[in-house]
Amino acid sequence: MLAYAIRRIILMVPLLFAIATITFFLMHTVQGGPFDSDKPLSEATKINLDKRYGLDKSLPEQYISYIGNLLKADLGISFSNDRPVRDIIGDRFPISLQLGIFTFLFAIIFGLILGIFSSLNQNGLGDYVGVFVATSGAALPSFVLAPILAIIFAVRLHWFNVIGWELWDYKTMVLPVVSFGFLNMAFVARISRASMLDVLRQDYIRTARAKGVKEFTVIMRHAVKNAIIPVLTISGPIFANLVVGSFIIERAFSIPGLGRTFVESVLNRDYGVIMGVTIFYGTIIVGMNLIVDLLYGIADPRIRY
Amino acid sequence: MASTPIAQPFDFASEQIHTKQRGLWSQAFQRLVRNRLAVVAGILLIGITVVAILGTSWSVVQRHDPNQQLYVTASNEDNTNAGPTSDHWLGTDNLGRDMWARMAQGTLFSLKVGFGAEFIVVCIGLAMGMTAALGGRLTDGIITWVTDLTYAFPDLLFIILVRQAIFGRAWPIIGSGDPQIPGLPAILLVTILAISFVSWVTICRLVRGQMLSIKNQDYVTAARCVGASEFRVVRVHMLPNTLSTVIVAITFGIPTRIFAEAALAFIGLGVPPPNASLGSLISDGQALLQSNNLLVIWPAIMVAALMLCFTFLGDGLRDALDPRTRK
Repeated sequence: MLAYAIRRIILMVPLLFAIATITFFLMHTVQGGPFDSDKPLSEATKINLDKRYGLDKSLPEQYISYIGNLLKADLGISFSNDRPVRDIIGDRFPISLQLGIFTFLFAIIFGLILGIFSSLNQNGLGDYVGVFVATSGAALPSFVLAPILAIIFAVRLHWFNVIGWELWDYKTMVLPVVSFGFLNMAFVARISRASMLDVLRQDYIRTARAKGVKEFTVIMRHAVKNAIIPVLTISGPIFANLVVGSFIIERAFSIPGLGRTFVESVLNRDYGVIMGVTIFYGTIIVGMNLIVDLLYGIADPRIRY
Repeated sequence: MASTPIAQPFDFASEQIHTKQRGLWSQAFQRLVRNRLAVVAGILLIGITVVAILGTSWSVVQRHDPNQQLYVTASNEDNTNAGPTSDHWLGTDNLGRDMWARMAQGTLFSLKVGFGAEFIVVCIGLAMGMTAALGGRLTDGIITWVTDLTYAFPDLLFIILVRQAIFGRAWPIIGSGDPQIPGLPAILLVTILAISFVSWVTICRLVRGQMLSIKNQDYVTAARCVGASEFRVVRVHMLPNTLSTVIVAITFGIPTRIFAEAALAFIGLGVPPPNASLGSLISDGQALLQSNNLLVIWPAIMVAALMLCFTFLGDGLRDALDPRTRK
């Protein structure tokens, strides 16, 4: 197990190196430079700026110095406001992370409740309601749900705010979390319903019932505990996706998170921020995949490395 | 009831009719047709596509120019942000443009991206997946590493980067996607290429896995034993057995591409105005949420309808094509 973990961590290095390399060269092929604007800069200013940010050097030289800095955990500086990229990430990422965590909890908890509830009422009214929500959820991506919920609950009913994000202020948190998490909640509900239906047909459930175990205990201790494994498997990618994929919802609700920063940096060709955020997000995804694989081995004793 | 003779010669001829052999595809088609939800979804999809095509090319269905800004009506009344009328079926937007025509334009663009990108995705994915499964260890290792690498990128962010990298330069054949240089096909191609360049890995993995599992099945070994050439084994046995998985993946892939385009458009990297896609319509409507929420409701309904139709069709196809789930 430990040897496997170490081998996987070592394998992460070339992957992240490749991400950095691809992003670096892709970014430099984008038409125009970071200092192009409607008002052309004077020649002298441009030369000075290029010198300041090392853009006067050749591309391979820039690449080598960037990778060198990266090894020292230095992500460089933003070209548009001179701040270290590390500080920008430190500033903006907590907001994206909060949004991601709350959305993740929403998706998993409500998805599980819905899925388990449906499976226990199979083919009953409750099941139809559950399946309907789970199916309609697949058709409602965040950018569709966000404006619709905003119309109903913010513009008409004035229950929540349309913009912003304030930790523990439900007025700003509910709409982004629900519209961002609904698709994943529906997914979790479908998976947990299917796996519950599968588990409930197993012999050990019948045995437990035959022993006279209380129905509640049968469901909670025997059925749910086993049915939750597939949900665990998908929860890793879902979490990574929610943390790094929030730029749409951040734009929809004007939340100053890292996703919005990334989009702005692409539009401004802010090389430093583009690189920093891509590498940062890549590390999160690769790291999450590793954690899921390791956790999977712990949760399911049948898996050996 | 008349008594029937007990001993009757067995009628082989009539028995033959009952056991008439049916191919995999005709069986699958019949199973699909029996799935009412999938059929309704399929018909609805065809209907939406036809209306979107006619609504952008035939003036009888289009009714208004989607880009014509008509601030006041003939009788000098305000024509902006109007609700649905007999003239403007879906109302007008903040610039007095007809929403019906704009919706047709946007839907067609999104469908083009969905089908176009998925087509390229399948071409690259099939080719790479087959190469990985049938090539040597080294080829397989390289392709697997490339797919792992692509998976490590946040996919929408990668699409944004690729889109920006290929946008705005004069490519041979496809031209430039720059708004300064007119022509919708260029931006359409840029969007399609950016999305498919990032998205082929899923199909590639699927095809590789499926082919590897088929490669050592008994019937493939049997075919090899009777002297079938490698080409014949691939064409007759491996490809058809991979295809059903791919077809299901396509049905779920198309809405994912439409989603990707809409996400690009939503953050302002989609079609340049005045052209519309479903994503840009939602994005524009979002800004005017307080004054006219119909602008966002129409494209939202359309996106949801498309996603739902493809989901139902995909579910139906999966049940129809996979004999193991047959009830």
